[in-house]
Amino acid sequence: MTKTPLPLIRLTTTALALTTLLLPLVLNRGSLALYIDIALSACVVVGITLLMGFAGQVSLGQTVFYAMGGYTAALLVLNGAPPLLGMVAGTLTAALLALVLGVPLLRLHGHHLAFATIAMHLIFLVVVRQIDALGGSVGLMGIPGFSVAGITLADHQSIAFVSWGLLALVVLTAHNVIHSRVGRALRALATSETAAESAGIPVGRYKLTVFALSAAFAGLAGTLWAYYVGYLAPEMFPVSMSITFVVMAAVGGLGSIWGALLGTATIKIIVFWLGTAATTDAMPDYAPAVLNYAIYGLLLITVLLFLPHGVFPTLRRRIQTRLTPAPDKPTHSDPEPTAQGGDLRA
Amino acid sequence: MTNFLMFLINGIAVGCGFALVGSGLVAVYRITGVVNFAQGMFAVVAALTATSLLGLGIWHGPAEILAITVAGCVGLLTGLVALGKPGTPALTALLVTLAVGFLAYAVEVLIWGDHPRSMPGLEGRTVLLGVPLQRQYLLVIAITLIVFVVLSLLFSRTYTGKALTACADNPYAARVIGINVRRMGFLAFALGGTLGGVAGVLIAPLRPISFDSDIALIVGGFAAAIFGGLTRPSLALLGGVLLGITEVMIRAYGNASYATLGSLVFLITIMIWQAARRPTMHKEAA
Repeated sequence: MTKTPLPLIRLTTTALALTTLLLPLVLNRGSLALYIDIALSACVVVGITLLMGFAGQVSLGQTVFYAMGGYTAALLVLNGAPPLLGMVAGTLTAALLALVLGVPLLRLHGHHLAFATIAMHLIFLVVVRQIDALGGSVGLMGIPGFSVAGITLADHQSIAFVSWGLLALVVLTAHNVIHSRVGRALRALATSETAAESAGIPVGRYKLTVFALSAAFAGLAGTLWAYYVGYLAPEMFPVSMSITFVVMAAVGGLGSIWGALLGTATIKIIVFWLGTAATTDAMPDYAPAVLNYAIYGLLLITVLLFLPHGVFPTLRRRIQTRLTPAPDKPTHSDPEPTAQGGDLRA
Repeated sequence: MTNFLMFLINGIAVGCGFALVGSGLVAVYRITGVVNFAQGMFAVVAALTATSLLGLGIWHGPAEILAITVAGCVGLLTGLVALGKPGTPALTALLVTLAVGFLAYAVEVLIWGDHPRSMPGLEGRTVLLGVPLQRQYLLVIAITLIVFVVLSLLFSRTYTGKALTACADNPYAARVIGINVRRMGFLAFALGGTLGGVAGVLIAPLRPISFDSDIALIVGGFAAAIFGGLTRPSLALLGGVLLGITEVMIRAYGNASYATLGSLVFLITIMIWQAARRPTMHKEAA
């Protein structure tokens, strides 16, 4: 079904992508910050959608890799390395960390893995606070802005374009992985690891590869975040952040790249919009936090219970059913072969 | 030596707190197969409610019991959300309980603000075999023991308890003989809420509780529960106590900032060890 996208849908997505690409030219400062936030979070969420939707593995600790990318880049740049090198190094370090941690962690399944990844996140926070080179609980200050070959790209607009470039890179990579041999193998192992294994798929190696890839996406986004914000502290990476990434992936629809983008954008915009509403009025100072948690909680509950495949795949199916002539109507039985991993049912 | 014994009792008390949170997890998992992420939240709700009730001038005792009841009701509500829609897979239910925890953050911050709160417990010390001990620690240990005995009696001696166990062993057979498995699931969540509530009111005098204390509690509780494979309360108690002793000893003799690290490493090590011992343990999709 996904092989033959309808021209109308393709046209709409192209128009949407073009509009999004041109948006930084007209946005004001606050909206640009939101724009960058969406692009960078979407990089992480695309990784999660690959990991959860295709490999069937839950990670509630993806922020660790985001922070890892940021810290690596910041350390290098503060010691005089060019930001681009920091970006590459941050991405690779995050991937490497995932490879090392993945070997023991990915032996776990379902809720065990969920808890282990949260534990990984908490351990990371404790360790970062103890390392003086990373600034301990105070954090790293004065991280130089992003620049390539002497051209400074540190203003909001440039960072917005760069962040969108990174997201494009991430989406392209994910798209190619999904439509490769590895992608098909992943879809098989998401349904049943045992079956996939007996069909000769190296399950362990593939799971590890996707974990490392998703970590690399998060690390890459984290590096730009560090250059953009200019400082890093352990408090910036709470456990709830990892959970919100999963919420975005689940809302958008696991196993769908467009769903990841849509889910991230929708949630970030709702939170931003309600957040500004909460700060402008004579509201108590904790109102934005309350709204934030309430939105994430309610959205996640609603989507999990009533739209288990996520908003985007459901929407796409509706549109396709409406646009396709009646005879070759797609079957309703399982239109998203990738939507949920086997572990989600274990 | 006196110091060591003091730390030991202290550790056992802290561990009992973990074990109580863990026992709630076990109760829910045994019966519904759902790992209840909101278990730590029940303790937080009970602790915060108790501080408010005490602030209103209600006596110790009634205040705590009322707070535990509130936690039980919150547990039931969580169960209604997580299990209310038939056919929800267990891991989806886990994510739902996670979401309920998030929603609870919003409510908790709204009611109690985002600063940690503490409450007075049993004051004074008693001297046992020459070791001065805070009474609150002894109270925690005593109540935990009572709770675990009652829990095991409930599962083995009462009709409801046996019905609950039947639901866990074979939901289909339980349904055939006329047990309402869904209702038992709700009951399990209410029980989990109550057990979490007991943990909360006992822990609150030992360490300040804020809305996001649930993460530390749930990780500790899960580590304790996983020790018994999530199904055996007595092993969960042992796991919790071991964990508590490790934590307090690291705090006392090592670096205090690594204390929580102990429980986390303990958790991961046990899980990986279990997974390595039983590689085919995980269930495939139905």
